[in-house]
Amino acid sequence: MDSRIATTLTARCIAAALVSLGLMAGAARAQSPSPPADSAPASSVSKACQPGSVALAEESALPNVAVALATRKKLRILAFGAAPGRVTARGGGYTALIEQMLERALKGTDVTMVNRGVSGELAASAAVRMKTQVALEEPDLVLWQVGTNDALASVPSDEFALTIKDQIDWLKRHKVDVVLVGLQFANQMLRDAHYIEVRETLRRVAAQENVIVIRFFEAMQIINRVEARGGPAIEPDEVEQSDAGYNCLAQYVARAITLGVFAKNMPKRPAVQ
Amino acid sequence: MTRQPNAVDFWRGFALITIFIDHIPGLFYARYTLVNVSIADAADLFVFLAGWSIRLMAEGRAMSTRDLMLRLLARALELYAAQVLITMLAIAMLAGTAIKLSNPLLLEWHNAASVFNDPVPTHIGLAALTHQLGYFDILPLYVVLMLMAPLFALIDRVAANWLLPLSLGFYVIVLVFRLQLPTWPVEGTWFFNPLAWQVLLVLGFVMAKDNAGPGLWVRRHIVAIRTAAIPIVILGAFVVLLDWWPDPTDVPNPKLFFIVDKTFVTPIRLIQFLAVVAVFSLAFRYIRRAAEWPYLGAVVGSLIGMFAMLGRNSLYVFCVGSLLSLSAQIVRFDLRGTVGIDTAVVVLGIVIMALTAWIAESRQRSRPAASPQRS
Repeated sequence: MDSRIATTLTARCIAAALVSLGLMAGAARAQSPSPPADSAPASSVSKACQPGSVALAEESALPNVAVALATRKKLRILAFGAAPGRVTARGGGYTALIEQMLERALKGTDVTMVNRGVSGELAASAAVRMKTQVALEEPDLVLWQVGTNDALASVPSDEFALTIKDQIDWLKRHKVDVVLVGLQFANQMLRDAHYIEVRETLRRVAAQENVIVIRFFEAMQIINRVEARGGPAIEPDEVEQSDAGYNCLAQYVARAITLGVFAKNMPKRPAVQ
Repeated sequence: MTRQPNAVDFWRGFALITIFIDHIPGLFYARYTLVNVSIADAADLFVFLAGWSIRLMAEGRAMSTRDLMLRLLARALELYAAQVLITMLAIAMLAGTAIKLSNPLLLEWHNAASVFNDPVPTHIGLAALTHQLGYFDILPLYVVLMLMAPLFALIDRVAANWLLPLSLGFYVIVLVFRLQLPTWPVEGTWFFNPLAWQVLLVLGFVMAKDNAGPGLWVRRHIVAIRTAAIPIVILGAFVVLLDWWPDPTDVPNPKLFFIVDKTFVTPIRLIQFLAVVAVFSLAFRYIRRAAEWPYLGAVVGSLIGMFAMLGRNSLYVFCVGSLLSLSAQIVRFDLRGTVGIDTAVVVLGIVIMALTAWIAESRQRSRPAASPQRS
């Protein structure tokens, strides 16, 4: 490996690690008023969410976000899909949680989240609306939770793939980065063939397009498995578990964005199978 | 006794069935509704006809301005009660299905997550209409429009010529400054922005007046307007069918004047909708003539009767239709959407909607005179 690239990579990795440490502290502070006792120095997410972070896809560069941070010290994120429509048990929105985490991790950056999620919307409808919202809101990044509604509504996976691919291409052409958030988790969907197919389709398209996809389903599946083996519990019942799951999601999103800023020259890592 | 089928009731019935189908995402038959060949859809038609109906109600019998305003406020209250009722039923349906199928995913569907997850502020939001379930967002728009309607009625009575210019002026301000109503506790904005959609209600209201103002002018020039509208309707169909949407990032500021957006019912959408109305304003007359044809006429006549019956009982049918759309989504989720399931869902849904209207009219059928037109 060329020594200059190696040095650059090392510098970026150190920077990313430092930012992750900041994010970790931010995540812990945002999650709980108590000291961040459940956080680990090796991770950017809280201890309860750590097992799931292995299911996250590889880091991909977010060049437009990097430019926004370098030139304006401002980051504007347009949130689409179901996740932005969540409210925490303490009343704050998940978008607000991500905003807080990013502002702590990316010191001195003014982060604005604009939530334009419409619950129940299929990817094809969201894609049309997203173009309008990109024109109106001029974001640097789109955070798009997609796939669950299409899977539940039996949208053919090839049709879904085409929609996602076209939309990512459109966003790239318009210099807007994208972070995808995959399908929501429920144990009952582990055996649902179409749900699995849509999940895999999203992962495949994201890999082909080299964009970040946070594999929320897989992350929650692993967390649940760890928890069942007596690992760190999230919350007791399913509703609260889902709430805590979204708390982890907020951390994964913040982590992915933060790493994406520094991932410009990072070598591509194979996606977790 | 119920009133005879008329164009307003017929088209409102058409809009209700279309909304029912459009609110079942992924449904096979959803690819054959108005929205697949038109920029505007059944929601635009529904609101426009609501304005039209207010005119018929206001002029159907001599009503003082005060009585008219009170009547409109009472209607707003009735719509609000309906929205609260169907929202609670929808939440119960999602919760019941989640329990029955042991699948918590359903608790997160259609913006319901915060209802179960964070019920304290969300219940305030539900009551205040600032938290709306997915596909249960038309009635909140309608409630706010009905709260605005007394003002429109008052202006119409004291300075009729000012109503449309004032409404259009406010619409322009809303587009320029992107004024919206916020949602809470989930941060966002209303999917249907009443501040912009008021213009459609007012357009329906003024166009329904056939002896003065814009309504009279349009009727005098309807041939020319219809001729100009035909290419707009055709172009709109091509835009939708061939995905010829202009890139919204390429348009100048203020962007909302040049892009297609449902939330703000932007001018392109509005103009295309009015063109559709102009072109199809004659359609009911021809459809009714078709009812006189041998053989096929009986079917057409029955359909006219059913559509008009749905339209006459629009609130009941809309409420039941909204719940049926959700039921259909649940059925499709559980059994998987195939053409067979979709056909059964649509047929059964329309039958239940018709049955709802029939039951709602059962009292009126025994009365000697027709009831006045309702908004």
